Amino acid sequence: MVIHLKHTRRCVLAALLLAGAASPALAQDVPAGYPADYADVIAAARKEGAVSIYTSTDQAQAQPFLDAFTKRFPGIKIEYNDLGTNGAYNRVISEAAAGQVGADVVWSSAMDYQMSLAKEGHAGAYKSPEAKNVPDWASFKDTLYATSVEPIGIIYNTKALPEGKVPKTRADLIKFLQDNKTELKGKIASFDPEKSGSGFLHHTNDVRQTKTFWDLAKAFGAIGGRTYSSSGAMKETVVSGENVLAFNIIGSYGLQWAKESPNLGVAFGTDYTPAFSRLALITAKAPHPNAAKLLLDFMLSQEGQNALAKGGMPSVRTDTDQGFNAKTLNERVGGNLQPIKLDEGLLEYLNPQKRVQFFREWKASLSGS
Amino acid sequence: MAAEGKTAGSPMGGVWTGPAAPARSLTRRGGDAGLFRVVVIGLLAVAVLTPVGLIVYQSFLSAPFFSKSAVLSLEAYEYVFTDPSFYEALGTTALIAFGMVAVAVPLGGGLAFLLTRTDIGGKRLLEILVLVPMFISSVVLAFGYTVSVGPAGFMSLFVRDILGFVPWNLYSLPGIIAIAGLSHVPNVYLYLSAAMRNLPSDLEEAARTAGASVWRVSLDVTLPMVLPAIVFAAALNLLLGFEMFGIPLVLGDPNGILVLTTYTYKLTTLFGVPTYQLMAAVAMVLILITLPLVYVQRRLLRHSRRFAALGGKGARTTNLKLGRKGQAIAFAVIGLWLFVSVALPIAGIVLRAFVNAWGEGVDLFAQLTTANFHRLLEVPSLVRGIVNTVLISAVGGALAVGIYLLIGLAGHRNRGVSNTILDYLVLLPRALPGLVIGLAFFWVFLFIPFLTPLRPTLASLFIAYVVVGLSYGLRLLQGTLLQVSPELEESARTTGATIGRTWWDVVIPIVRPGLAGAWALIMIIFLREYATGVYLMSAGTEVIGSLMVSLLQTGAMDMIAALAFISILLTAIGLTLALRLGARIHD
Repeated sequence: MVIHLKHTRRCVLAALLLAGAASPALAQDVPAGYPADYADVIAAARKEGAVSIYTSTDQAQAQPFLDAFTKRFPGIKIEYNDLGTNGAYNRVISEAAAGQVGADVVWSSAMDYQMSLAKEGHAGAYKSPEAKNVPDWASFKDTLYATSVEPIGIIYNTKALPEGKVPKTRADLIKFLQDNKTELKGKIASFDPEKSGSGFLHHTNDVRQTKTFWDLAKAFGAIGGRTYSSSGAMKETVVSGENVLAFNIIGSYGLQWAKESPNLGVAFGTDYTPAFSRLALITAKAPHPNAAKLLLDFMLSQEGQNALAKGGMPSVRTDTDQGFNAKTLNERVGGNLQPIKLDEGLLEYLNPQKRVQFFREWKASLSGS
Repeated sequence: MAAEGKTAGSPMGGVWTGPAAPARSLTRRGGDAGLFRVVVIGLLAVAVLTPVGLIVYQSFLSAPFFSKSAVLSLEAYEYVFTDPSFYEALGTTALIAFGMVAVAVPLGGGLAFLLTRTDIGGKRLLEILVLVPMFISSVVLAFGYTVSVGPAGFMSLFVRDILGFVPWNLYSLPGIIAIAGLSHVPNVYLYLSAAMRNLPSDLEEAARTAGASVWRVSLDVTLPMVLPAIVFAAALNLLLGFEMFGIPLVLGDPNGILVLTTYTYKLTTLFGVPTYQLMAAVAMVLILITLPLVYVQRRLLRHSRRFAALGGKGARTTNLKLGRKGQAIAFAVIGLWLFVSVALPIAGIVLRAFVNAWGEGVDLFAQLTTANFHRLLEVPSLVRGIVNTVLISAVGGALAVGIYLLIGLAGHRNRGVSNTILDYLVLLPRALPGLVIGLAFFWVFLFIPFLTPLRPTLASLFIAYVVVGLSYGLRLLQGTLLQVSPELEESARTTGATIGRTWWDVVIPIVRPGLAGAWALIMIIFLREYATGVYLMSAGTEVIGSLMVSLLQTGAMDMIAALAFISILLTAIGLTLALRLGARIHD
């Protein structure tokens, strides 16, 4: 009898233990400061088993972050789609129209497109428990979250241009182009806003924030400036000596490249250093809504932000120690870091008339008329 | 590769040696083949016309077809036809296409003449080398050129050290024309060598005996005889020129040189909203330009059949003697061409793949590294891209051969209306840029309910590839099928076999070795494909070519270089395989 009882007790104990092991989320999985019921989100996400990202970020760059997520939440498979800024945006709206939503999280550097997706109801509202840890400007109506702050700057060939001669302000840059017409002919590069969403964002943001953008564009046109569709392509030409300097490029890449490439320097405007953010949103009809929440929260968490910064995307937080964070970056660029505002102003240049007008003026400036 | 040249070009240069009448009667009696034809051509029509129809429909709408605000309208055409950039792109495209033909046809013709009609040494090796540029994706080629002969390329710096300046500019219109022309030489060579190989040599010999020089013979005797083939090759290359994407994408970018394909690519950014209607309208313009070229090609084919008498079976071909001086000149010309169109781009890619930086004042030896490959291997999507590319090329290529064989049989000895339909169906996808077809297939797999499960699988890419590679693949198969002497089929038929039985027991066993060669070549074609997957691929279905295009957007040159290198490696493996299999056809 005693033996029998003991046996029963052991069974119960074993069952309890088993139940504990099988339960997908334990309380200790819930990060500090998160609501207690977050364990349910984790459990549901585990059950979903996958999360799909549409993005414009190269996987090579995102890999440290993806690895960190997989380590933290094993069993949730990440389907990573690098589609470019246009590709991500177009695919999201095409799929929504077909009722075949494939993306859980859209993570793109085209801030204007992301805002447009949110405006048109493609983003679901979600208040991240990490929202309180990022600056106020870094989120928009619980739909869009800035996951990085990346300075826009200059890269230059150090052999062709000694550090002392590198323009330090916007006015310097314009003057530099105007004063060195013959030496710089065909040797200055920038983004082609007609081909690149990032380039379009950088240039139009300048139009909105500064008074001198068109002077810069005209000086750029006057020396036969060359335009590219990516920062990487410009880096290749600046390192090889084909171009002397490239402006309005993604400076966070520049910081990384300057470390590993010979002949390459990076500089930022001390009077004004705009910065863009990669924005993340959860789609309104995400096929894996819980895994999407998990991913977004992790993206904004200290651990996730450190992993992103490790991949060269400076953190929006100030309490990370990998790479740059919002505070150390501001010091690095000379104290005038001005993140592009996360508001409906981003939509200004999505207006067809404004867009056409911008391109017309851009082309006119470039052709020197 | 010799066998390849023969099969690929066969429908062209008077290979059709059988008398036409019995073939026709075969068709008439072929009741059981009729059903097969209808089914196969019908299925093909669905596969080709669905995406093409979608593009036509889209071009007449005011917004993307899935948008609620889309109404029938001519807005897209209005926009395109009033956009100065469109005319600029159109003009540039025409200039590049004609310029390319002007470079490629004389060179390809000259090569074909030297390799088929003369006793130039090392033929077997040359025949392979001459085709190499055709097998490398043009994105890869163009990328290689930027590293070797770009403004700061190693070749440019070398020449500048000697001359004091760089006598060329790769990123200019002439630069693009030269590169495009050189890389299309193999396409011309393939056709013309097939045509020339089948010419009887007695006329040339007679001219030689009468004292004419080799040069004179080639111009006054050989040239007129292969003129139809030359026009055909020119028309084909014009077509290829109009839809070229990779070379202008890479080389036209820095100086803002736009062609129609890159113009459509740009239209999407220009508006900030999907402007598929504009892309579709431009695609329609391309169809309108290229369809007449397709028509010309068909006419020429018909004529060439009339001249079939030229190439009797017993035609004896003896090679012209070049003499020592002639050999030297020929080798110099071929060597120079090979250096520029094979050695330079491949050297550029190999170099870039193993360094982190290059150019002016960069010590390349200090930069040597395998880091690019280590980083490549750390990125799952890129590794998957390599695996997928191998899968879709090897397995997909084999399946494609089966499909093309069925289509080839449906058109085999078929001279009825259905064959005309078949010809146009086959050439229609050829008239559209791969980028646009890929986009149309993306829609097909997104919006046609029972097809949606296929979208995230390689099957979607495979179907698109089969349609894009249709004209090339079918040409290979048709060529092989035509080599089966009609007498064999007739004797089977006379003894009472049905057409199906004749095909199964006579035709297919005979062409089986040819199929292996075709498989290897289609494998290489699928390997180099890049435009089709740009819109179609998703996580899990990445392929190398399209990955490179998408990486170009962010400019991850290290990864592009490593992928390009692997792509060349795979091509080399495919080519070796093709040669092995091809050699078997020969023995």
